[in-house]
Amino acid sequence: MNPVQLFRLEEKEARFRSPSFFLRILLLAFFVFTPFLFRSFEVLDVVLKIIIFAALVASYDVILGYTGIVSLGHVLYFGIGCYFVGIFMGKLGWTSYGHLALSFLIAIVISGILSVLIGLFSLRIRAIFFAMVTLAFMEFTFILSSQWRSVTGGDDGISFKLPGILAIDFSFGKILGVEFSGRIISYYLILLLSLFLFLLMLRFVHSPVGRVLQSIRDNEQRSIALGYRTYLFQVIGSSFASCVAAVTGGCFAIWVRYVSPDSSLSVSIMLDVLLMVIVGGMGTLYGGIFGAAFLMVTRAFLPKLQVLIASLLPGIPFAIRLSERWLFYFGLLFIIIVYFFPKGIVGTAQEILARRKRE
Amino acid sequence: MNPSWRRWLPTLIVFAIFLSPFLLISPKTYITLTISGLAMGMLLFLVSSGFSLIFGFLSVLNLAHGALFTWGAYIGFTAFTLINKWTGWGGPNSMILNIVIFLLALIVAGLLVAVLGIITERLVIRPVYGSHLFQIFITVGAMIVMEELIRIVWGPNDEVMPVPFNFMGSWDLFDVVVSKYPLIAIVVGLILYIVIFMILRKTKIGTIVRAGVENPEMVQVMGHNIYRYFTGVFAAGSALAAIGGGMWATFVKSIHPAMGGEIIVFALIVAIIGGLGSMTGSVVGALMVGLSYNYVAYLVPKAALGITMLLLVIILSIRPTGLFPEGT
Repeated sequence: MNPVQLFRLEEKEARFRSPSFFLRILLLAFFVFTPFLFRSFEVLDVVLKIIIFAALVASYDVILGYTGIVSLGHVLYFGIGCYFVGIFMGKLGWTSYGHLALSFLIAIVISGILSVLIGLFSLRIRAIFFAMVTLAFMEFTFILSSQWRSVTGGDDGISFKLPGILAIDFSFGKILGVEFSGRIISYYLILLLSLFLFLLMLRFVHSPVGRVLQSIRDNEQRSIALGYRTYLFQVIGSSFASCVAAVTGGCFAIWVRYVSPDSSLSVSIMLDVLLMVIVGGMGTLYGGIFGAAFLMVTRAFLPKLQVLIASLLPGIPFAIRLSERWLFYFGLLFIIIVYFFPKGIVGTAQEILARRKRE
Repeated sequence: MNPSWRRWLPTLIVFAIFLSPFLLISPKTYITLTISGLAMGMLLFLVSSGFSLIFGFLSVLNLAHGALFTWGAYIGFTAFTLINKWTGWGGPNSMILNIVIFLLALIVAGLLVAVLGIITERLVIRPVYGSHLFQIFITVGAMIVMEELIRIVWGPNDEVMPVPFNFMGSWDLFDVVVSKYPLIAIVVGLILYIVIFMILRKTKIGTIVRAGVENPEMVQVMGHNIYRYFTGVFAAGSALAAIGGGMWATFVKSIHPAMGGEIIVFALIVAIIGGLGSMTGSVVGALMVGLSYNYVAYLVPKAALGITMLLLVIILSIRPTGLFPEGT
């Protein structure tokens, strides 16, 4: 047996005994029991957005942390997912399960094709071109979605109803004192889908293709020398991540039941995703959960903090203005994290654990 | 394709874009559109030349460039308002005083933003030279911080940009309506282009910078402190962005904190089309984008941004390194 096989065997045996395994189970259990633990809609909303954004950030991490190329337009595919569900359910009024599945499928196919095209003609030259071209395409799609009123509803967006058991007025009856409305059912549907996506991405990054991608990230020249067409592998990695992002976008649309350029395609969402991936840690996949949780929870509590500051410092408009611009602090935090904790929460934790194990 | 034909390709494309609308638009409208297209091109050149030069020389993808552009517009706005309140040169008096106050506001904006650029380069970008990934993150962070600072200082709303009195309206040349401001913008842009070109071509600093675009290590080997030049180029690029911001704001007559984010996409496209690090490339790319944008905006208003993307795709597929990749 060669060393790699030995290492994998060891890893496989330790899989169910490691503390991080229990942590993962605990995390999943928390997400499963959230509707029973917290009865308020606000908490459920925050938790669900954490789930969706964790999947989105993980898909971004496949490009950034595992493939080592920077995309600045990843939210484009998220937006495509959102918009196809929105157009099918709202604009065309085809509210049935089949059409919902069809809208997901079309979004995945179109995202795949688009990302392969973008990758083919921008990754060919320099990886840095990819960042610029994706940013340009995202901006283009954003303007397209806000101007093509007849299809996308312009800046007003599209609000829509969902079929059957996902509709808001549907009720399944009470289980353990919680009413199983369409909301709760869509919560579980999205949780299931996100879990599936997450496992898929874990499988992808540990597959032979994923290992090649990591080798390209670590040393591109060497991978070329070993005979890999690095450029094709990068295209595969980025298009896989784009398809995953399209599905998360569809999930987001199912939960919010509304799509608009600002809520699904804007640069500010891209900034959120970047911040989440940096806070959570690049190249870890699990980092997305922590990054998303950090940002979503802070954002949910910020309005209360603002009220507090406004009551503490009455009559000073500059202080109130300072407290309103929370994005400013996120920007500062962003720079500080990149300088001092470039590995993020999960990466730093992994490093500490690994050091302890060695000792 | 033989090389001699390739060398004339950029010129051919520009002329093709330049002349093609003749088939569809009446000559008078064509001239009006061409002038506003050239003006837009010169303004885009101001933004993207700095961006392109910073990328070529420092190899930093400076996503904060758009924020510097916005800072330039806001400082220009404040400077213009203050000077006008003090002297009244922006009102309905002579053209020369109008031009003086306009240039004063631009110079103030350029200088202050150059200082801001030096601070940004020293504090934020210097620690991460060499790592593309972290540079992108850091400049995104700097962009957020600078844009939010604008919202804190000037408030989050749109402001109306004051325009010197004599810059409004239009001249009537042989029955063709020519707006005044675009012509002024073209002249100022051309002067700046010539100045930059001369500095890069004829001075020692320019030679070092051009050498740095090609091979930074070699410049260091020759005994030049390249980091000092890095700071200088960053400051110059920021000043150009700021002047572009002030002129753009006068062009569209309004300013808002997110304007830099919109323009940075154009700057990216222009820089890629022209070839990163190339001045001539920037000016040609900017004129191509400006002209095609204006023609299409007149013919098919909604496809205007689409034509820019199409241009990018075409150029990238026939010449992946841009039109002028040599760093000239």
